[in-house]
Amino acid sequence: MRSAFLEPSRRRTALVTGVASGIGAACAATLAQAGWLVAGLDLHNSSGESTALALTGDVSDPASVREAVRLTESRLGPVDALVTAAGHYEATAVDDITPEQWTRMLRVHLGGLVNPVRALLPGMTERGGGSIVAITSELAIGGGDDGAHYAAAKGAVIGTVRSLAAETAARGIRVNAVAPGPTDTPLLAPDSPWRAPAYLETLPARRLARAEEIASCVLFLLDEGTFCTGEVLSPNSGAVI
Amino acid sequence: MPTRTPPAVNPPAGAPPTESKRPHVGTRALVTGAVQGIGRAIAARLAADGALVAVNDRVPGPRLDEAAAAVGGVCAPADVSDRAQVHSLVARLGEKIGDIDVLVCNAAYMTMGDLATHDEDDWWKVVDTNLTGTFHVIQAVLPGMRRRGRGRIVVVSSEWGVTGWPGATAYAASKAGLISLTKSLGRELAPQGILVNAVAPGVTDTPQLRVDAEAAGLSLDEMRRSYAAGIPLGRIGRPEEIAAAVAFLTDFRIGSLAGQTLQINGGTSRCRA
Repeated sequence: MRSAFLEPSRRRTALVTGVASGIGAACAATLAQAGWLVAGLDLHNSSGESTALALTGDVSDPASVREAVRLTESRLGPVDALVTAAGHYEATAVDDITPEQWTRMLRVHLGGLVNPVRALLPGMTERGGGSIVAITSELAIGGGDDGAHYAAAKGAVIGTVRSLAAETAARGIRVNAVAPGPTDTPLLAPDSPWRAPAYLETLPARRLARAEEIASCVLFLLDEGTFCTGEVLSPNSGAVI
Repeated sequence: MPTRTPPAVNPPAGAPPTESKRPHVGTRALVTGAVQGIGRAIAARLAADGALVAVNDRVPGPRLDEAAAAVGGVCAPADVSDRAQVHSLVARLGEKIGDIDVLVCNAAYMTMGDLATHDEDDWWKVVDTNLTGTFHVIQAVLPGMRRRGRGRIVVVSSEWGVTGWPGATAYAASKAGLISLTKSLGRELAPQGILVNAVAPGVTDTPQLRVDAEAAGLSLDEMRRSYAAGIPLGRIGRPEEIAAAVAFLTDFRIGSLAGQTLQINGGTSRCRA
């Protein structure tokens, strides 16, 4: 057992995807604040303010992810935690979803979880510990208009999280998800229906979730949710209860 | 793949800012059923996070005195199933320490038995302590939370309230009722800045385990191992792990969790609560 969870002397390392903006950026900042060493992976260059290592790569491409994991481990050491926040959204009516759009959704969200997990599991297994948090969505639970491909991909993430949790618990690995409701990030366009005051009035909390709140949920699951696995936390302003 | 390594800007591990270390400074919390087990761990955690904790037990006495002193809190005796006692307690607390802004409904009573033969009064005592008692306490603290302009309520449900359990109809019904109560109050009170959420612990290492062990004719360690065998993480939970979740759900900096049930069970339930 060489898990950093049992070695307080070594700073724990987290790989966070989608780190250039929104929830991913907030996760990197919150984790760094709590003492984690953060490697960030994004399709776009990130400022790197919260990250000890900023990597550019595509989570939907297994080879790109393997290279990111290799670089992270060579620069920062073993990866103790994975946070998958890289995401992609587009509002499309079900009739209009092209096969290419459908496939891209699955590759980014489901591939964005499975690719880094496949690269990291052998190390976590060998060290006897690790923690994985996938960012999914309230839409995976409740569904919604004009995003069947997004909901399907995010729902697949939840199914994967639950199965991975059951399968890897005996190795000391915990796998959980956070399913935010509409959150104030660049993924929500300025004219998004989720920003409309009439919609916000329907939310029990009457406002969008903040990226920092999602990051707090992630930090809880990594640092203190030590008996949580296969669980989905829903900071969604009451959108789905 | 281009990479770069900016200078390390992370603070040293284990040294987050004081505010995030003690997020409950200024909070006045009431924890019901807090002399032992999960309730005691919750009281200790909230106190460590800076809260002044009113420690509830069914009756006054040395047990309660010790538990309150252990967390630097105040004694808050009342039988939660007795509406008059609950309202009188909350009124007294208001005079003594001020309005409560964090409530943790943890007090519970449990017996098991076949539904057909379960003593009727005892069956209802389970429901009226766990579900009706929570209703009484929440109703009693709401006016004070509205005066303070903020509130966080955490209801301690149970894995069995999510999954059901043979021989535990009254307990499971009461705990499932608490989840639905949490969902409804999550919707009803969030617009007022009062957030209601629940935790659903799985098997946890508390004095209740001794009762289970005696009923099963096992030693305490055998009981722990027997439960652990059915849990993916391979062990039972610790009260401190439930307390950590309660501290998280009562953190006033987080305002987007409403009506949710956080399951803390080592991976057993595989359900959405």
